[in-house]
Amino acid sequence: MQCYVCAQSGKETEALGICIVCGMGLCKDHAIREDVDLWEGGYPFPSKKAKKKLPRILCAECAEVLT
Amino acid sequence: MPQPTLLKRAIAELIGTFVLVFLGTGSVVTSVVFFGGVDSAGLLLIGLSFGFAVMIMIYAFGHISGTHINPAVSIALWATGRFPSKDLVAYVAAQLIGAVAASLVIVAIVGTRAVDAGLGHTMPGDGVSYWQAIAIEAVTTFFLVLVIWGAAVDKRAAGGFAGLAIGLVVAADIIVTGPIAGASMNPARTFGPLLTETFWGTTSGWEKFPIYIIGPIVGGLIAAFAYDYVSGIKSAGDKDES
Ligand SMILES: [Zn+2]
Ligand SMILES: [Zn+2]
Repeated sequence: MQCYVCAQSGKETEALGICIVCGMGLCKDHAIREDVDLWEGGYPFPSKKAKKKLPRILCAECAEVLT
Repeated sequence: MPQPTLLKRAIAELIGTFVLVFLGTGSVVTSVVFFGGVDSAGLLLIGLSFGFAVMIMIYAFGHISGTHINPAVSIALWATGRFPSKDLVAYVAAQLIGAVAASLVIVAIVGTRAVDAGLGHTMPGDGVSYWQAIAIEAVTTFFLVLVIWGAAVDKRAAGGFAGLAIGLVVAADIIVTGPIAGASMNPARTFGPLLTETFWGTTSGWEKFPIYIIGPIVGGLIAAFAYDYVSGIKSAGDKDES
């Protein structure tokens, strides 16, 4: 797969990831990594933020809408 | 910060217990002051008021403090090794303060006729002995803590329904057994109206206070250990003994 954003400007670049929301292929420059916090526990115990986060790849358009 | 500090969690317990006592005992006060007493329909509304209050605060603060809003629940979690001792002291203190604050605010809003109406205090009904009152408090708190364990502590429970189930068991306990001894199930819920009444000169309730300490704590402990045993959640490799 190739990068959708690069392809729009006529460049052919290999995609390294896929936006989890819209599915567009993305190269290293156009993939945006927005890690998601994980919470452990919960009622009847307080929730704790986990040390590790969940990786998540987004394109620029979806990242703008979601954040 | 991985979780809120003990101070913040204690404040959440204080607010949660305030809401429980304000809405719960407030429903008794408004029944008596504005509708002239509590009949069986009024009892239904009182049970639902307590149940709704528990449910909404579980959903509001369950992930912050764990919404125990009841010393009997905190003690049962502590006794089964799920809750640290230093947190226990802070939580119980916050629960007691929140309960008293709620009763004081009810008096501030409704006036001293709220005190005349009894502030929603708990008391054994006519013909109910001291020991019978302790027994009914133990039985009702047994149901409450059993549902907390089954619907929330046990991670096999259906996600998101704990608050609803626990609110409903509180309501059912009160609707059925309220006339017997008040269906407190919660030393803090009894303490709030009791101390506030004392400020206005009524001290007769203190001799009954041990009912609402011993009954809920004993019932809660039995439920916690019984659930842990029956469900096997404390022993990871629970073997089939057949
Ligand atoms: Zn690209
Ligand atoms: Zn996208």
